[in-house]
Amino acid sequence: MSQQKPLTGLRVVEHATGVAGAWAGRLLAAMGAEVVMAEPPSLCPLRHEAPLLEDGRSALFEYLAADKRSVICDLEIPAGRDSLSALLEDAQILIDDTPVALRARQGLDPEGIAARHPHLVHLSVLPFGATGPKAGWTGTEINLVHAGGEGFLLPNGLSADLFPDRPPLKIAGHFAEMQGGVAAALAGLSALWSGIGQFVDASVQDANVAVGAFALQRYGDGSVEHRHTRSFRYGGVIECRDGYVELLTLEERQWQALVRLMGHPGWAMDEALDDPATRSARGDEINRAIRAWAHGHDVEELVTRAQELGVPMARYNAPEQIVTGRQETARGLFQTLPGMDGVVVQTAPFRFADAPLELRRAAPEAGQDQALLDLEDSRKPRRVTA
Amino acid sequence: MKPLAGIRIADFTVHAAGPFCTHMLSQLGAECIKIESAQRPDIFRKPHAVYGRAGPATFDQVASNKLSVRLNLKHPEGIALAKRLVAQSDVAAESFRAGVMDRLGLGYEALRDVKPDIVMTSVSSSGQTGPDSHYAGYAPLFGAWGGLGYLTGYEDGPPVEMRHVMDHSVGMNAALATVAALHQRRRTGQGCHVDIAAREVASSLAGDALTAASGGVAVKRMGNADPQRAPHGLYATRDDDRWLSVSVSSDAEWAALARLMGRAELARDTRFAAAPARVAAREEVDRIVSAWAALVEAEQAAAALQQAGVAAHVSWRACDIARDPHTRARGAVVDVTETCGRQRKAVGFPAMFSGSDAPGMERGTPGLGEHEDYVYGEMLGIGRAERARLVEERVIY
Repeated sequence: MSQQKPLTGLRVVEHATGVAGAWAGRLLAAMGAEVVMAEPPSLCPLRHEAPLLEDGRSALFEYLAADKRSVICDLEIPAGRDSLSALLEDAQILIDDTPVALRARQGLDPEGIAARHPHLVHLSVLPFGATGPKAGWTGTEINLVHAGGEGFLLPNGLSADLFPDRPPLKIAGHFAEMQGGVAAALAGLSALWSGIGQFVDASVQDANVAVGAFALQRYGDGSVEHRHTRSFRYGGVIECRDGYVELLTLEERQWQALVRLMGHPGWAMDEALDDPATRSARGDEINRAIRAWAHGHDVEELVTRAQELGVPMARYNAPEQIVTGRQETARGLFQTLPGMDGVVVQTAPFRFADAPLELRRAAPEAGQDQALLDLEDSRKPRRVTA
Repeated sequence: MKPLAGIRIADFTVHAAGPFCTHMLSQLGAECIKIESAQRPDIFRKPHAVYGRAGPATFDQVASNKLSVRLNLKHPEGIALAKRLVAQSDVAAESFRAGVMDRLGLGYEALRDVKPDIVMTSVSSSGQTGPDSHYAGYAPLFGAWGGLGYLTGYEDGPPVEMRHVMDHSVGMNAALATVAALHQRRRTGQGCHVDIAAREVASSLAGDALTAASGGVAVKRMGNADPQRAPHGLYATRDDDRWLSVSVSSDAEWAALARLMGRAELARDTRFAAAPARVAAREEVDRIVSAWAALVEAEQAAAALQQAGVAAHVSWRACDIARDPHTRARGAVVDVTETCGRQRKAVGFPAMFSGSDAPGMERGTPGLGEHEDYVYGEMLGIGRAERARLVEERVIY
């Protein structure tokens, strides 16, 4: 029996070349929506995006397109636009990341879509949104993580201490674009909840401004953050004998537990350190002691003992430690899909009830589901230029 | 009406991740009742010295637009009152350590008894199940567990800790899952328990690297580099600590950048003309772009690059975001007026709606218990004398 999922019965058409739009579609697919990628004859460029698996397939695409269907649809010609229109008749959400300037030509302008499909939630997902002075701007991950404010604040902590003169840093992978995808999916489902067919204009930059909220709040409070000064006064990235851990003690009881974990060393018995403000002021000295102590311990042993004592500490997991991790395995977080030869994908960032969401299929071959287009159109030879 | 008008949330969340979830839902129009007690207020109401700042770090943004009531969950009558609140809500959200709501008598089964179609959203560090479910954590730990921390950093340096963007990213995912669960309720009449593990949100954001690693591909920290793009990085401009991000994805974009740098001949230079060659000669490409960037004004250069079709943006500080006409025009940055009349900047909802009222905030940070007349009086119909007793007996406390 197939799993009951929250969005069963929802049909989404995804016309996306970027990670943000594709991630929005992927999240909806994981929750049970039928998501149909409408690819151009040149195919979705994410099919070739790094990281690549040994057989040349894109790991990124396998991850982003899992559980989706694919049709090829040439929106530069009337027949292709008609096909898309037919597909949209049965859809509730259209995800589109076509640049604003190209939309009308491809039949994707909000006015045209609203006239033909008034019931539809037309979800636009663009780097800087579809309206506003910078609606025409383009951006890839590195531009967007810096347009949203977080890039300027990275790295902090140990990296910033070690390399103060280096340029600021992006977060690995597609963090910023995926924020755009999550926010877009939330906006799309919220619009659908309202029962009003409408144009929803999501922006990757805005999503990153939103998740970086505290920088703006602190600016308003008169404090300007900088990567060189926003490090935790003590704790942070700590090197152990065989890897790194993260340590953060916000609460008094957590600090006391850390002292216990370290075996009540003499320096920590200084009564002055009972005062959090003093600890903050003497953070460098405390961290030198913590780092010297941690160097003599293995990560696994330390994290286990720390968590037993109530000290917030975590291992900096390498990817292979995550895909085989005990917690992840226990929760069925990863799934091997048919034809994937042992390659796994994370199913979703959330679950409903006690079981993980199950993906139904691996990422589609291009045009694999061409029969979803109307019958007459599906008999025509496909024009693939990829 | 705002998109989620009519939805009510009993909000037990604390810290940043959970409250950001309900804050987003609140901006979308849900009525959000924040439940705390004077005995144990949300710890983000108070300062934490480890941040090196005197004031509370983060509370105002995520508490804005919410209603506040006091409720002592250590008191049996407090639990009963909490259930009455949930019985009149669509969503119950919480972010305690896994198992705490059960121990309080407010687990999913208990809430379902009082509201059969309740959507319960639980945000935790490692999820409601599994051997690590009892682990305590904050944003940097989520990033560490989930791989983002390991993968972020200079190639020759250590991992990098994720900060509050990690918390809020968890909250955004939780908000999405909550609305999806509401759709399910609308379709089937059934609620459900939504389980969001912060470390799983972190790993989902590194999902491509995890898939690659499972296929035997070595994945490592690579700073600002991209395996398929060059130039791709942050370049120092003429002003101190003013950095320009540039990302060239095609040979045509490289040609446009070369023209803009006054070095059109580079587009024909076989060392750089095609992407694989540029990636192989990344350091030389970076030297060329760095030499040009060092003399330019960052914003003008970004605008010129965008005009030429090249992805570029200045590495923005909070002050740049706050004064940007674009983010202002889109409602990504808004002004919030506190009860005392003070105005402050805050982030809005990251999308615009053509057919619904704009998301946003009508109120600033609520005082602890500020909305008890409405919640306990109007909504639950508790009379003045009874409320006075509950206050006296530290149930409403």
